[in-house]
Amino acid sequence: MSETKKDESGEARVGVYICHCGGNISDHVDVEKVAEAVKGIPGVVVSHTEMFMCSDPGQELIQKDIESGSINRVVVASCAPSLHETTFRGAISRADMNPYLYEHANIREQDSWVHHGDPATAKAITLVAAAISKSRGLEPLEPIRVDAANHTTVIGGGVAGLRAAVDLAKSGLKVALIEKTPFLGGNASQLDKVFPTGEKAADLIAYLTSAVIKDPNISVYTCAEITGFEGYIGNFNITVSSKAPQGDMLHQVQAATAGKFQPFGGFLPKGIPETDTEETLTTGVIVFATGFKLYEPRTGEFGYGDNKEVVTLRQFIRIMDEAVPGTGTMKIDGRPIRRIAMIHCVGSRQIPGIHEADADDYMNEYCSRTCCTATLQAALEIRDKYPKTQVLDYYRDIRTYGHNQEDYYTQASEKNVLFFRYEPEDSPVITKTVGEFPLKVSVIDKLTFNEEVEAGVDLVVLATGMEAKSITNLVEMMKLPVGSDKFLQEVHPKLRPVEMANGGILLAGTCQAPMDINESCNAAQAAAAKAAAKAAAMLGKGYVELDPFVAKVDPEKCKGSGECITECPEKAISMTADNIAEVNPALCTGCGMCVAVCSVNGIDIQGWGLKAYEDMVDAIVKF
Amino acid sequence: MKAKRDLQFDAIVIGGGIAGLQSALDLGDQGYTVAVVDKDATIGGKMIRLSKVFPTLDCASCITTPKMSSAAHHENITLFTYCTLNNLDRQTPDKVVAQLIQEARYVDPEKCIGCRKCEYGCPVYVEDDEQGGFNMRKAIYIPFSNAIPQIPLLDVENCSLCGKCAKVCPTDAIRYDMKPEEFSITAKTAVLATGFELSSMEQKPQYGLDRLQNVVSSMQMERLLAPHGPYNRVLRPSDGKEPDSIAYVQCAGSRDESLGIPYCSRVCCMYAIKQAMLLSGALPLADITIYYMDIRAFGKGYEQFYQNAKAMGIEFVKAKVAKITQGENQTAKLRYEDQEGNGGVMEREHDLVILSLGIVPQWDPEGICSVGCGQDGFIKSIMPKIAPTVTNIDGVYTAGVAAGPKDIVDTITEAGAAAMEASNYMKSLA
Amino acid sequence: MSEEKKQSTATTDMKKLRQERKEYISGARDKMKGQNKIIKALKEALSGDPKTIPELAEIMGMKTDTVLMYVSTLKRYGIIGEGPKDGDYFKYELTK
Repeated sequence: MSETKKDESGEARVGVYICHCGGNISDHVDVEKVAEAVKGIPGVVVSHTEMFMCSDPGQELIQKDIESGSINRVVVASCAPSLHETTFRGAISRADMNPYLYEHANIREQDSWVHHGDPATAKAITLVAAAISKSRGLEPLEPIRVDAANHTTVIGGGVAGLRAAVDLAKSGLKVALIEKTPFLGGNASQLDKVFPTGEKAADLIAYLTSAVIKDPNISVYTCAEITGFEGYIGNFNITVSSKAPQGDMLHQVQAATAGKFQPFGGFLPKGIPETDTEETLTTGVIVFATGFKLYEPRTGEFGYGDNKEVVTLRQFIRIMDEAVPGTGTMKIDGRPIRRIAMIHCVGSRQIPGIHEADADDYMNEYCSRTCCTATLQAALEIRDKYPKTQVLDYYRDIRTYGHNQEDYYTQASEKNVLFFRYEPEDSPVITKTVGEFPLKVSVIDKLTFNEEVEAGVDLVVLATGMEAKSITNLVEMMKLPVGSDKFLQEVHPKLRPVEMANGGILLAGTCQAPMDINESCNAAQAAAAKAAAKAAAMLGKGYVELDPFVAKVDPEKCKGSGECITECPEKAISMTADNIAEVNPALCTGCGMCVAVCSVNGIDIQGWGLKAYEDMVDAIVKF
Repeated sequence: MKAKRDLQFDAIVIGGGIAGLQSALDLGDQGYTVAVVDKDATIGGKMIRLSKVFPTLDCASCITTPKMSSAAHHENITLFTYCTLNNLDRQTPDKVVAQLIQEARYVDPEKCIGCRKCEYGCPVYVEDDEQGGFNMRKAIYIPFSNAIPQIPLLDVENCSLCGKCAKVCPTDAIRYDMKPEEFSITAKTAVLATGFELSSMEQKPQYGLDRLQNVVSSMQMERLLAPHGPYNRVLRPSDGKEPDSIAYVQCAGSRDESLGIPYCSRVCCMYAIKQAMLLSGALPLADITIYYMDIRAFGKGYEQFYQNAKAMGIEFVKAKVAKITQGENQTAKLRYEDQEGNGGVMEREHDLVILSLGIVPQWDPEGICSVGCGQDGFIKSIMPKIAPTVTNIDGVYTAGVAAGPKDIVDTITEAGAAAMEASNYMKSLA
Repeated sequence: MSEEKKQSTATTDMKKLRQERKEYISGARDKMKGQNKIIKALKEALSGDPKTIPELAEIMGMKTDTVLMYVSTLKRYGIIGEGPKDGDYFKYELTK
């Protein structure tokens, strides 16, 4: 298509497209009125509304107007730009116009979702008018190209990390797998059998670790942490510090055999560091697989800490593994366990006003997903191995949602596991007793119409939930988004479920949310697929494309004061030999600090210049 | 006779729903050529037919249409809609072959510009399943407004051959004599993303066998709530009344041995809560009740969503509904055993009752493909814990609800995993 | 191809197809006849003031669910529009 027809740099002819968002916007904003109102703004040549601008017919509307030559600037008023800015830029590119001659007005999150009626419509008109004003001054831009490294880094050697490393290596990429402890296998190493297949967790870990160890594309760094980080997608530089294990850790290593799986420890790869070392890696994509930590009940919570007969499910799994089978009644250290109480939702599904918040006023409001089935699995194992040991199960809702998991619930009922349903405000109370049983569980049981039920027990097992692991160092160093549940936050759970907002940093497994092994492996493979796609795109072209919204120096105006260099938080600006500031566009995040300090207006952000803001403010004042 | 077409791709994806599209996009982005085959006349699967999605309450279209559009415009992806899969199996390690029939739309896709003049001109109305059967479409129609491709199809069984559509078509695209065409696709790897159906409303005689007024399925309710819905608002289908009292019957097609569906369908709790929230927004004065066994809000942000719903005043009653009958004034009467309060058998009438139906597989591979299925009919993974998308056929993977009930988040993630397996399989051939 | 000739081939082809699809065609015609009757009655009933579904059903002597089905269908194709609300029911009117 000829340049003259679109005439990108000539007088602005703006096309305005307003989305109903299927009622999300149009239920509150009179979109027709907005379309009508902005028609009179200088430069506007077309103004349309559409049920879904992001749909094919919506995008084609834009393309047709570009291709017919009637417009050379595009304004779409719809949802947040984080969702669909790239969608519309893509449509514009397909019509062979520069995709940066585009401005987005957010009239959903910033308008129809928070305002109603006439004020919502009035605000939409203002926002669209501002976007139109800005669009008139836009210049065609080219994305920034930077070199890309054929290397990926996986942080965390649990199931998700191992899975991701195997897949990345198979797809032809070099992988550094970084694990903090000496062992591979993560939390899964603490399990015996996994639901619903009954496979040994050790076998699953062995399958993955042997693939990792065999693959020449994977370098395993155990006892290692990331202590330095800089750069951008395609070109991250990370410092990996390995430390020789000491103290407890050293004992665990000495107790294990290199190249073998240590029960309830993990797989110990060969080559545990004997001295402290540091290495810098250049890597293109980083996959986070840092996993979770188990909730630690507070002292006194369901009697935990005050009574040795109160244990967590994880502790119990180990106890059961070590217990002598086949006596009819379970015995721990010779003590007969005639009756066990299992309590669900410990440290999960906490409700403000009912549960106790921590010092930061935080609590785990989410469901940990895996504990219901894991608890029933343990309950069934008790009933199978020790038919004379009774199991009492205290739950809020039984969430055996996954493949073949409902069977555990049905079987538990068939095998006489006794269920009690409690409301969070009437949680079971554990008290010490003297007499037949060491502990007593009291609960108001919803299944028997609020009857108060008391039962003496020999053991209480708490099904503790998953918590986000504290990885504050990494989060701060890499500026990662964290959700209100403290887990790492994806861009969007459906649009981009395994990506973080930071370009080139991906998510795998329970660092994102509670998941079981199968779900973690799916997430890890999905992350690996994304990484492979990014790598394919980068390596195919040999470069990564970044958005061009970065600072640019006007050499005519720059006086070489160096103020911008001091202010730049990314260290993206340097001074040339001619004493003129120069920006490294790959490092620049377009934050604008430099623009604010330059006394001669010699530096500006491409696509978001000072003039653009002035134009927008003028329009806002006018409308 | 014209020689049968045989097309070559790196990968073939069966099913153009959100799972299939995500797998195709993840493979296409890695540089592989992908054929996406759908039996429907449009891609988008079940998700595009939904109103909004939990727990973010984004409109389903806002998430699905861009993925549909990316797939449609992707240089490595080719869409084959309205196709029947007759056979799919592996022949050699680098060859999996699909035998397909391109069903006849009676519209020339090369000529059609999607202007819908034919649809407006057509004089025959037909009950529209896309709208839950609550209103009618024409005998020639585009399935829904954001369908891809935007090409109508003619429903021959309801066509009087009056010729009006051909007369008004500006590009002479109507082909009344079009015939189905056989063709085949040869690829190195395949992803089966064949999705689900809701369990039948007629499976449970106690719930009225689909004959009671104002007892609707959860999918019909999605349509009532959707922006392009049949009434553009929520009305009682029997007479257009705005309902004052709405009830959800949970596990109406799940966790029930008598239906042959012993498993949990994973999404019904959350979609019922989501619909209840949307309803309380649309009808602030209406009473909304959810009758449930266990609330299974297990995904990221789901429990908080459930607690919000409770705080909004949606009533949760722990009870298994035993029977539904017709009540007074076109209401539906629920009979249930209350498991809270004082217990006992209770009865309550509601203007509108939604059966939260369960999920059953859409596709039965019997006689078409040797892929193994579980007793529940879903495609079986042979490594369910650490490689959940791997099937019994080498280089053939499964993703999404085809492999078992799953919500959209888990489906999209699994689709990525299937793409990873498929691309690594192709790498292993080289 | 001349306009006339094109017409004649089309006619022969159509004849053959009509024969093949005889049953479908007669079914569709019957359906259409019934539908046209209802649509006509509905338009007549709406010729005056806007009306609710129960009001229309009463005038037309039909079941409310059938009337709602037709009203929502014609609304979809732009022939009927939604009017003001009357109690629990909306009123409907002809557009233009």
